Amino acid sequence: MVEIKICFGTLCFIMGGAAFEMLGEHLPEEIRNKVRVEGMNCPGFCHKAEFGKPPFVMVNQTLIAEANIQKVIAKVREELSHGANQ
Amino acid sequence: MAQTNNATLIRREIITRLCRLYTQGRLDEIDRIPLDMAPRNTAAHNSRCCIHKARAIIRYRIMALLGFNVADETDELETLYSYALRSLAGTDHGNGVLTVVDEACTSCVKSNYTVSNLCRGCLASHCMVTCPKQAIAMENGQAKIDPSKCVGCGLCQDACPYHAIIYVPIPCEESCPVKAIYRNEQGIEEIDYDKCIHCGKCMVACPFGAIMYRSQLIQVLHRIAKADKPVIAMLAPAVCGQFRVNYPAVAQAVMKLGFTGVYEVAAGATLTAKHEAQELAETLESGKPFMTTSCCPAWVEMTEKHLPQLKPSVSATWSPMRYTAALVREKYPDATVVFIGPCVAKQAEARKYEGVDFVMTFEELGSLMIAMNVDFQDFDQEELGEVIPERIFAASSGVLSAVMANYHGEPMKPLVVNGLNKKNIAGLRRIAAGRSDYNMIEVMACEGGCLSGPAGISSPEVARKLFNARAGVQVEAMVESK
Repeated sequence: MVEIKICFGTLCFIMGGAAFEMLGEHLPEEIRNKVRVEGMNCPGFCHKAEFGKPPFVMVNQTLIAEANIQKVIAKVREELSHGANQ
Repeated sequence: MAQTNNATLIRREIITRLCRLYTQGRLDEIDRIPLDMAPRNTAAHNSRCCIHKARAIIRYRIMALLGFNVADETDELETLYSYALRSLAGTDHGNGVLTVVDEACTSCVKSNYTVSNLCRGCLASHCMVTCPKQAIAMENGQAKIDPSKCVGCGLCQDACPYHAIIYVPIPCEESCPVKAIYRNEQGIEEIDYDKCIHCGKCMVACPFGAIMYRSQLIQVLHRIAKADKPVIAMLAPAVCGQFRVNYPAVAQAVMKLGFTGVYEVAAGATLTAKHEAQELAETLESGKPFMTTSCCPAWVEMTEKHLPQLKPSVSATWSPMRYTAALVREKYPDATVVFIGPCVAKQAEARKYEGVDFVMTFEELGSLMIAMNVDFQDFDQEELGEVIPERIFAASSGVLSAVMANYHGEPMKPLVVNGLNKKNIAGLRRIAAGRSDYNMIEVMACEGGCLSGPAGISSPEVARKLFNARAGVQVEAMVESK
């Protein structure tokens, strides 16, 4: 199971994170049952430039900056293929 | 419709920075914003020719956000701080609600038709022979179109056996339903304010973000800071599709920004629906064939500027914004009244009538939340009391369904015109010519209704989903759209 955590802070939402409302609809069939999507209260990534730009999404332990649905799906696939190799 | 792309996000970042400086009492640092956003040795300017151009564009964006028309610049050395002070002094700054940031306009293409390198310079030269304006010549073995002669008829494209001639759209011109934006002699886009209906489609369409609305945000912030009179926010029904929280949390967050009170424009919509239903019954009884809705200001302006024959058929009932403002003034006669919505045209409407002092957009509201560290998650979401069913005004077909619920008269033959595009405008012209038997016509300039407004926060599909989940009323295809 890959864990997707979407920052629910206002800043992330306004700066592009609103698109994740449609994540469920865009997840490909084959990974839909292999992910758990949750929101997270703002962990403050937006306050430090070194983390990059919003919106922020965590896929397992990896932080994705300037996240969008395609980037998240790509990362989920990567995580799933790691799991298969182990 | 609002879209999240880099052009939108840069506008939001600038709004946030502007709000931060104002609320922290550091407005005198405003001339630093272009430098901070495009610092040396970064790729921040990668779609512009150089960093200086990137900064100049940010500067003009700020000028628009301070409420000025970019074309009204008389002194290139005037500082943003000087503009800010002039804006706070509160004089009106020029024509139109939309303004072209001419530095940002890349003057897309000089002619819509261009010869690609698939051209083989063939002997037959169908394109040259076909062109009625002799605009095509052979140069270095390939056809070339002279933009000064080309009239954009497209005959060359049809004639080329290699499909080597392509149509290159100019997004803003393509999106404008009333041909109000055109290239001037320098190839830069200009808006004809005698034609513009402020629908905001060009602003959304321009991939370089060259079209901005003239914001009134700083004036609102100034009224809140002065605190000599109540400042009341009126939230448009589409607010229920903007954020990930229910309406009560949004209202509390807006209070946290310093407003004295918050009203739902859906309350005014209740009155609009009631009066419009009554007006419809009377109109049809008097023998007139049909009536149209009047709550979409871009539609009303469309009839004034382009379809005068339909103007008498537009309902005389006030828009929800005007009714809500009247409700506010019953309680706060001297208040500064601020409408907050997804719409550019509402600013033009507010200027026309007494009652509403300023118009803010949802993206400005969101940016102000960011600047003041107000988070929706911190507020209680529970709906106290009953949900106003007229929240449905936010969606295409919603106004009509609300009017129907109040209507008592001869059978209604309703039509929903979902978006002012070229096809629907042609349909409206047929109706104007008397070739329809509809008697009640709802028209919204944005496809999908206000939930798809140009200055909303998210894409129309997200706004619709959030609205259905959170508004307490459902968007359904209540009336078949045509």
